[in-house]
Amino acid sequence: MFFPEAMNEVQLIVPSKDLLAVTNVLGSRGVFHQIDSTYLGVNSGPNTWQEKAARCSALERRIQGVLQILSLKEEYFESSGFDSEDLDMMRFAIESIEADVKATSDQWANEKKRLEQLESQLRQLEPIADINVEVGSFQNSRYLYSILGIIPASNISRLETSLSRVPHVLFTLKEDVHKPVVWILARRSNSDMIDRAVKSAYLNPLALPEKFEGTPAKVAESIRVEIESTKRKISDLDDALVKLANIHKSELYKLLWNVHVNRMMAEAIARFGQLRHTYVVVGWVPTSDLPSLTQRLKNVSKEILIEAMPMARAGHPSNVPVALHNPGLLRPFEMLVNTYARPRYEEIDPTVLIALTFPLLFGAMFGDVGHGLMLAAIGWLLSSKKIKALRGMASLGGLMTACGLFGAIFGFLFGSVFAFEDVLPENPFFKQFFWMKPLENIIETLGIAVGLGIALLSIGLLLNLYNAIRARDWARFFFDPNGLAGLILYWSLLGLIASIFIHGFPIPWPVFVILIVLGALASVALSEPLKRLVEGYRPLIEGGVGIYIVQTFFELLEKFISMFSNTMSFVRVGAFAVAHAGFCLAVFVFAGLASGGTNTGFGYWAMVVAGNIGVVLFEGFIVSIQTMRLHYYEFFSKFFTGGGLPYEPLALPGAQKN
Amino acid sequence: MSGGVSAYAAISSRVRAMYANLLTPQDVLQLSEASDFSSLFGLLKNTAYGPYLDSLKDKDIAPKRAIIQIKRKLAASYNSVIQMTPVETRPLVKELYRYFELGNLKAILRGLVTVSVGNSETTLWDRVREVLFPLGSDTVLPAQAMIESGSVTSAVDLLHGTPYEETLSFAMKRYSAEQNLFPLEVALDLSHWRRLWSQAGKLTGQDHQYGAKIIGSLLDMNNLMWAIRYRVYYKLSEEEIINYTLPFGYRVHDSDIRAIAAGADIAPIVMRIYPMIGDVNVMFEEPQAGLPKLEFQLKRQLMNQCLSAFVGSPFHIGIPLAFLVMSDLEVQDLTVLIEAKSSNMPDDEYRPFLLKPTLLN
Repeated sequence: MFFPEAMNEVQLIVPSKDLLAVTNVLGSRGVFHQIDSTYLGVNSGPNTWQEKAARCSALERRIQGVLQILSLKEEYFESSGFDSEDLDMMRFAIESIEADVKATSDQWANEKKRLEQLESQLRQLEPIADINVEVGSFQNSRYLYSILGIIPASNISRLETSLSRVPHVLFTLKEDVHKPVVWILARRSNSDMIDRAVKSAYLNPLALPEKFEGTPAKVAESIRVEIESTKRKISDLDDALVKLANIHKSELYKLLWNVHVNRMMAEAIARFGQLRHTYVVVGWVPTSDLPSLTQRLKNVSKEILIEAMPMARAGHPSNVPVALHNPGLLRPFEMLVNTYARPRYEEIDPTVLIALTFPLLFGAMFGDVGHGLMLAAIGWLLSSKKIKALRGMASLGGLMTACGLFGAIFGFLFGSVFAFEDVLPENPFFKQFFWMKPLENIIETLGIAVGLGIALLSIGLLLNLYNAIRARDWARFFFDPNGLAGLILYWSLLGLIASIFIHGFPIPWPVFVILIVLGALASVALSEPLKRLVEGYRPLIEGGVGIYIVQTFFELLEKFISMFSNTMSFVRVGAFAVAHAGFCLAVFVFAGLASGGTNTGFGYWAMVVAGNIGVVLFEGFIVSIQTMRLHYYEFFSKFFTGGGLPYEPLALPGAQKN
Repeated sequence: MSGGVSAYAAISSRVRAMYANLLTPQDVLQLSEASDFSSLFGLLKNTAYGPYLDSLKDKDIAPKRAIIQIKRKLAASYNSVIQMTPVETRPLVKELYRYFELGNLKAILRGLVTVSVGNSETTLWDRVREVLFPLGSDTVLPAQAMIESGSVTSAVDLLHGTPYEETLSFAMKRYSAEQNLFPLEVALDLSHWRRLWSQAGKLTGQDHQYGAKIIGSLLDMNNLMWAIRYRVYYKLSEEEIINYTLPFGYRVHDSDIRAIAAGADIAPIVMRIYPMIGDVNVMFEEPQAGLPKLEFQLKRQLMNQCLSAFVGSPFHIGIPLAFLVMSDLEVQDLTVLIEAKSSNMPDDEYRPFLLKPTLLN
């Protein structure tokens, strides 16, 4: 939970005869993160497994196509386990179903198309419905050449330009952003030029069927009748397709499963190294899953060779996939960590820590029992997925719930409920939980916030030391700006301030000055040369001593400023706690104004409710950004490098691990 | 405040840093000295393209693969610029990037109509994949599914909900009637450039000025070459040429296009628009050889326009756009080099088509 799962690099030598069984075990366990090992093979020619995967992919798409035609959901039912059927057999089965479905589906598609055509014709007739002239008479005019059609809106002006030398009239009968209807009239002797122009302007002439005669109104009536008849046919065909779906459903799902699994297996095998009689498979497996996987592999292949090498955390193992294993409750916080970066293999996974500190900082800035519980309730609603439209935000639900609950806890401590600042402190029961009012203890509140910041930054620096120890990166441990020297510098600065301002501080200030000089030298001024010395790189100083001294001066300046600003950044925690009380005060001032000074009545309570909602929305948004900022910029930057490779195990549908 | 210092401070510095990584004219000349493709590949590995080429395994080192890897750097540049571009101007850069998606779409459609009987789908997809610009996940095209659909009509059906749907819904009628990709490609091109010009038109202040200058110059080059080719090669009618071109641009005006469409002498029109290009008359004496030279000269003008964007105030969209166009032109140079070296083409046949070295003149 505190670290990514320990991983083993696994190399398998698989006899060709056991290839499918072994791949099936690897895929069905869902724990094996595969690495492309084709380079270990001897076969540099075309890979037959790649071809098989492509064929499976094509078949899968065909099955998906049939499922779509039959309005069946694309689902994977592990009905019969993996069945390595001959692809040609499966293709034959799919073709047979396609053939059975094709006649009806083609007819359905044709009728649908016809319906669309008729409806489109009807729509296009709407703009000229009032014209009491037979449409056909324009088409058959001896001297007049007429074209009625739909054209991309952006092409109309260009069409007019192209016809500038040809006498013509162009009417836009229907102003539509996407498909305007235009009508062009010109002399029949210019018909070839008109045709070229309208064709190159992508005008699609309206194909009014010749059987419809009369005025546009009459044609429209005839089309409506035709539409009704077509709809009836489509309805009959829908019934026929439902029957076909019932007949072929189970076979289609079985085929889909088989083709899908075959494809995944072929894709996996295509990345194995192929030797003459064996295959080389390389990948990563979590240590906890290794024994069971090994046992199952040996069960299906007696001759398989398995070599597993536990991967140490030291030495920057950047190619090791990182599997995080946090309890379900911590998933929203894991998401928060992953948004910043995925932990590296050798690093601490800060999910647990952030699960505590994030709601803590949020709650301190959002301290109100009512507001906190409201936020928690919204969070619970989101994570319960009860509201369909908000299901996409379900992952935020847990985070909001935790933050809301901490907000409620701080609400008890600050004595605030729905912006009422006096109710809880005056209640005999809740009085015992009351700590202080931030607005009345501003300096104390800000001081505590800075203290909290110092604690968090110190934890961050200590975690960096721990990460360096785990990675056995001694240069980082001692001389990194956030390493031991950096920590000594930070604490010494704090000590110096304490010894100056706190009367009777046990350690005299000169001690801290000496430590500051030593810390600054080791963590900034001499950090790079010392690191190079430890790591054996030469030259110790790059670019000349002059540049180095100037650079060091500015780095030192930057270091002191950043330490100060990082710490003072946490003032905002106290500032928002104070601001919250200020907002609450403002709500009641406005409510008083709305009630005309009576502090009662509908206006007063409406303003109190609206003000509370406003405070929850406004503050909730701002505070969450501030909390994230404090974690990402101030806290994580001290110890968390990130950049880990995601662990993506090979998993056939329904794999056991998942 | 898209034209402001605050909006462009970061991107301007970043782009200038990336600009410094572009090859110099001397670098391109040095690359052209390579004796063959493998030595060119070795030299390229020492440039900013190295990290992209390093990922190729020895057995995969082939001209087409190398070109794809080189294009990956261009894709990375686009992604980097898009992420840092201010919100107001981002749609323009995204639309410019879409040009490569348009190229991929055309390649897919061409792949579908040129498939010979007896070739399996796998082979076709593999062949098409090799020429697609590596857009990664930044594309709306279901490329493999389109190829596997087996026909242009089915492939176009898969573009439902994409920006290409509406354009193709009109053009497909003509494809069905003519069984020729020309109307589809023209419609897609026109639609893309209209959208791009429209995005440039939405900008304000310096952004508008530089957006119109660089996008307009790109558009000029394409529009002018379309009009000339439609008349010289395809012998299209005046109406068709007008409908297949665009009425806007930076230097090329609608009146110029209409004059070309109406049959006016092309060389004087080109010379009036681009007085700095010499020997235009000679180019039209033998269009087959002359038009590529004219296009090359237009690209040179474009490159000069891009370079001019780097002079003066840096806080506008001109610098990112100019950098991206320059990067694209560099990739074109490298593509010429790779293809020339892999086919052992004599130096004098391809060197005149290298853009970067012309900056030394």
